[in-house]
Amino acid sequence: MSEAAYLAGLVAAGAGALLGAALPARHRVPGAALASAVACLAALLGAGQVLASGRPFALRLAEVLPLTGAELSLDPLGALFVAATAVVGLAVSCYSVGYGAHAPAGRATTATLPAFLATVLLVPAAASVATFMVAWELMALTSLLALLADHRRRAEARDAAQWYAAMTHAGAAAILLGLVLLAAHAGGQGFTEIAAHRGRLSSPIASVVFVLTLLGFASKAGAVPLHVWLPRAHPEAPSPVSALMSGAMVNLGVYGILLVGEDLLGGGPLWWWLLVAALGVSSAFFGALHAAASTDAKRLLAYSTVDNVGLVLLGVGSAGALAAGGERAVAGLVLLAALFHLLNHSLFKGCLFLGAGAVQHAAGTRDLDRLGGLARRMPATAVLFGIGALAISALPGLNGFASEWLLLEGLLHGFASRSAVTEAALLAGVATLAITGGLTATAFVKALGVGFLGQPRTEGAREAKEVPPSMLAGMALLAAGCVALGVAPGVVLPGLERAVSSGLAGGAPRAARPGLGLALASWRGAVQPALVVSGLLAGIVLAWGALRLAPRPAELRRPRHAEAWGCGRESQTARMEITATSFSEPLQRVFADVLRPDHDLEVTHAAESRYFPEAISFHQRVDDAIERVVYRPVISAVARWGRVARRVPNGSVHRYLAFGFAALVLVLVVLA
Amino acid sequence: MRSGAELAVVEMAAGVVLAGAVLALWRKDLRALISLLGLQGAALATLAAALCVHDRDIGLGVVAGVVLLAKGLAIPGLLARVVRADPGSRETAPLVNVPASLVAAAVLVVLSYLVADPLTAVFPDPLTRLAPLGLATVLVGLFVLVTRRKAVSQIVGLLLVDNGVALVAFLLTAGVPLLVELGASLDVLLVVVVLQVLATTMRARFGHVDLDQLRELHD
Amino acid sequence: MTATLAPVATAGLGLPARAGLSLLQVAAVAVGGPLLVGLMGKIRARAEGRVGPPVTQVLLDLRKLLGKEAVRAEHTSAVAALAPLVLAASAALAAAIAPLVVTRPVMAAGADVFVVVYLLLMGSVALALGGLDAGTAFGGMGSSRAMTIGAISEPALLVGVLALAVQARTSNLPGIVAASLAHPGWLASPQRLLALGALVVVVIAETGRIPVDNPSTHLELTMVHEAMILECSGSDLALVSLGEAMRLGLLLGLVANLFFPWGVDASGSGLAVLIGLGALGAKTAAIATLIALVEVSTAKLRLFRVPELLAGGFVLAVVAVTTGLVTR
Repeated sequence: MSEAAYLAGLVAAGAGALLGAALPARHRVPGAALASAVACLAALLGAGQVLASGRPFALRLAEVLPLTGAELSLDPLGALFVAATAVVGLAVSCYSVGYGAHAPAGRATTATLPAFLATVLLVPAAASVATFMVAWELMALTSLLALLADHRRRAEARDAAQWYAAMTHAGAAAILLGLVLLAAHAGGQGFTEIAAHRGRLSSPIASVVFVLTLLGFASKAGAVPLHVWLPRAHPEAPSPVSALMSGAMVNLGVYGILLVGEDLLGGGPLWWWLLVAALGVSSAFFGALHAAASTDAKRLLAYSTVDNVGLVLLGVGSAGALAAGGERAVAGLVLLAALFHLLNHSLFKGCLFLGAGAVQHAAGTRDLDRLGGLARRMPATAVLFGIGALAISALPGLNGFASEWLLLEGLLHGFASRSAVTEAALLAGVATLAITGGLTATAFVKALGVGFLGQPRTEGAREAKEVPPSMLAGMALLAAGCVALGVAPGVVLPGLERAVSSGLAGGAPRAARPGLGLALASWRGAVQPALVVSGLLAGIVLAWGALRLAPRPAELRRPRHAEAWGCGRESQTARMEITATSFSEPLQRVFADVLRPDHDLEVTHAAESRYFPEAISFHQRVDDAIERVVYRPVISAVARWGRVARRVPNGSVHRYLAFGFAALVLVLVVLA
Repeated sequence: MRSGAELAVVEMAAGVVLAGAVLALWRKDLRALISLLGLQGAALATLAAALCVHDRDIGLGVVAGVVLLAKGLAIPGLLARVVRADPGSRETAPLVNVPASLVAAAVLVVLSYLVADPLTAVFPDPLTRLAPLGLATVLVGLFVLVTRRKAVSQIVGLLLVDNGVALVAFLLTAGVPLLVELGASLDVLLVVVVLQVLATTMRARFGHVDLDQLRELHD
Repeated sequence: MTATLAPVATAGLGLPARAGLSLLQVAAVAVGGPLLVGLMGKIRARAEGRVGPPVTQVLLDLRKLLGKEAVRAEHTSAVAALAPLVLAASAALAAAIAPLVVTRPVMAAGADVFVVVYLLLMGSVALALGGLDAGTAFGGMGSSRAMTIGAISEPALLVGVLALAVQARTSNLPGIVAASLAHPGWLASPQRLLALGALVVVVIAETGRIPVDNPSTHLELTMVHEAMILECSGSDLALVSLGEAMRLGLLLGLVANLFFPWGVDASGSGLAVLIGLGALGAKTAAIATLIALVEVSTAKLRLFRVPELLAGGFVLAVVAVTTGLVTR
């Protein structure tokens, strides 16, 4: 039953791609969206059954792939990733109807979105090396095409696509190398065979496999320092694609690490997982800091994805390290928190990217410095974006808090492990959670406060209108998920626990007690978000009532509106408002050592006297320091080699034939 | 084996020594640095006294007295004289700024915990387990020595290292031989006297005690 | 020093009784917080040789403001109306569940220290959004500064709290207080002392006291918190001031009860509750006096030297956790 639903989902997504390519322009977008929505519902049904029952399914489709046949199986861990993808996909399908109506999309653009969705749904079910690599490369290809939708209009999109193509293919090569090495030593390419033979694998080989695949998966997940493509690609893609990339595709990097490290290799030594945790710490800190410094709404969201993936990797790494030290119970708790955070991140980041897309759609820009005052012009979008922003800032009552709390509890109880290295990692983890929590709150207060509150800074923002209902419905679905999982996180915990015990080699004991709220099973610790929310609401209503009943004359009861205080100035204009750049300026100065902002100040003096400036222009850019320090030298070195190598082919056919001949002889010599 | 009250005193004293070292990175005012040294000296003397009470070892009592006199009073007093001659002196521009130094100190503390872990695993004695605190004091002292410019702050760094070494010695040997501790304290006292003379001469010659500017002598 | 989970006396109190005790705590913080602000002002005044306003001045101001109309800036949205309500409600909820007068008020099982931390964050976010809502230069500047200080004080806060939670093996607030009551030796442990130092730094930053922010400044450019609430007036301002005073009272009360848990009532009998109230008042007044005396003798730090202070708090917290690990 579950496999039928899942397969129906894949087929429907494929049909969506065909419909998008075949239907006439007027029906193209709704047709593809309807098929994708059906696909997501079916996949959600299939994955939900696996998560609810804990029973995986396995399928073998001999005809689909030549030579090996496609092997599919979905265990609860994979089902969790399918479910997260399906929820985001459902919202994105709904949203794309209104989004597509705005700018008529071409056949290729309309067809790539369902195709991309299908591949993201497919990867977690792949059960052999060949199937996995085909699905993985299809995902890379379709996402690249989806990213290129706007390439004719914007050079940035082309640039981003180049970065993405280079990084994703290098990553795929590393994964392929690792998995082929693994399959060769295990004597089979099916994941069950490999897992059954892992005892025979020598530990250096296992480590090489893990590190190679980690490189590839970490680059897909956007872990620092392999993240450079992400803050370029996610902002430049059309917003539905950005939502799918950030909300679903990056998850699969985490899935890959768990698949290889735990499922195929069965745990492994402590240092593997410390490496993963270190990647997590650096990503979380670096991503949060850049999110707090960004002024482009989608770039901010992209860096925040780096931050949240970092937190998930921190959890995965700590869980692996604790499990390697034999602390299965607390390892299960930490992994539960990490997977829960991943699911939550899909919900709120999907919602936020769709919201940023709505703003771009309505105001024509996503630069926060050119927005403002949108809350009065597009109130529904403001509320939905606000829910996402407050959820990602981990405010109690929304889902981000639930998973961050679990993660904090997991790190806290890991201190009983008595392994000094693990304890140091946990301490670093708590410090990272703390600093990223504060920075994320700052980043999203900026996004919400500068983008939606205050006065509009440009004509575009002043003229903004609320977006169509289909777009709002897409965002509302995800925002409702944020609220539901925030108030009653207990409802998804049983499914998550099944995912954890299939994700951690050797299983894990139950970490949380059943119930609506969160209560730890083996330790003293609980929160009841539903009670917190009702307490808060009661407090707000009581305070509001008390204000109404305050002893004052009737004419003073209603608030009056008057001009704002401007230090004695006559009127306030939008030019006096704080901008996103100035909002993040104090943080930039505090963390100047890490961010390394570029300042450029030009003063033109009046002709009469140099004491009177005529014009002052100030430019500031915060580039990715890692890109500048690590990648630029590599790129320029490659370019230099390229220039050298260009001298070799001079156009002579004889020379080319000679190259081929020489290569053939060389191969023969090596073989001999 | 060891009674609770004395162990608690030892733990507290060791914690105070490390906290003093960390606070030395925080404060720029040289007078504050010197009073932190005095605090560390007093904590070390208290530690020795607690061990003396516990082990009923008169020698340790004498060590406690010597430590109090040398590290708690004499050395801070001498340094205070150097500073008083140059009022309002602050560590104005350390090579690494203060927040970064403090984060580095946090890393060093965790590092010394990691490094000392195998040792404490071999000797699971309640005193040996505290050794990472002394090691961390040494590391933080070295950090001060490397990153601060003023001659007085560098002397403070050296003394922090010395206090850390003394702490480790007390914890690992449960009572340094009297002679060794006496010798070490006197050595450091000598160094301080020499440096004081040097600093005074430097100020007389160049008008300041900023070591970075000594490079000009070489150039 | 390993902790054993100390038994917490539930004393068979029913839900209505515990809810009543929670309301008592909220009332105590709502009256006590403003009194503490007034006390700190009075002590500063006396130390500076002035007479100063009476200790009850903040309460009198609140009554006066409640009788006035709220004037909001043009261009504001619903956020301007909601922000003061959310601030006050989040502080009140935190005061209701924290073990201030009794160890187990309502929702004791879910009274987690991280919940309180994030409730405080909720109040800060609400205020910062309120500051941005009017679209003025000063409001946004205040929000930006307040969020920056909040962000960099978070590590010292959470790691400091971690030092306590690792020692008590739970992050449940009643659990920590009960464990401290059961282990009097902890009061003198170095990790407690260091964590106290870290958390005092955080409390000073979070409540905007000198040297981080000057609550009595009248110059917009040097303001942090005051700039953010420049557009609040009348009953809005009353709620904001009350919320801020409650946060101060709550934080001081938590510091008092986590580090010096004497007098916190575990039984719920009438006399014990009175003793609990008295102890809470005395302890918080003592801490407030100390903070006020330090304030008199310190100058406000430049905004860009505040990170030094908070990094100091962070490293104290890390040393506290490490010391806790080596001495356990």
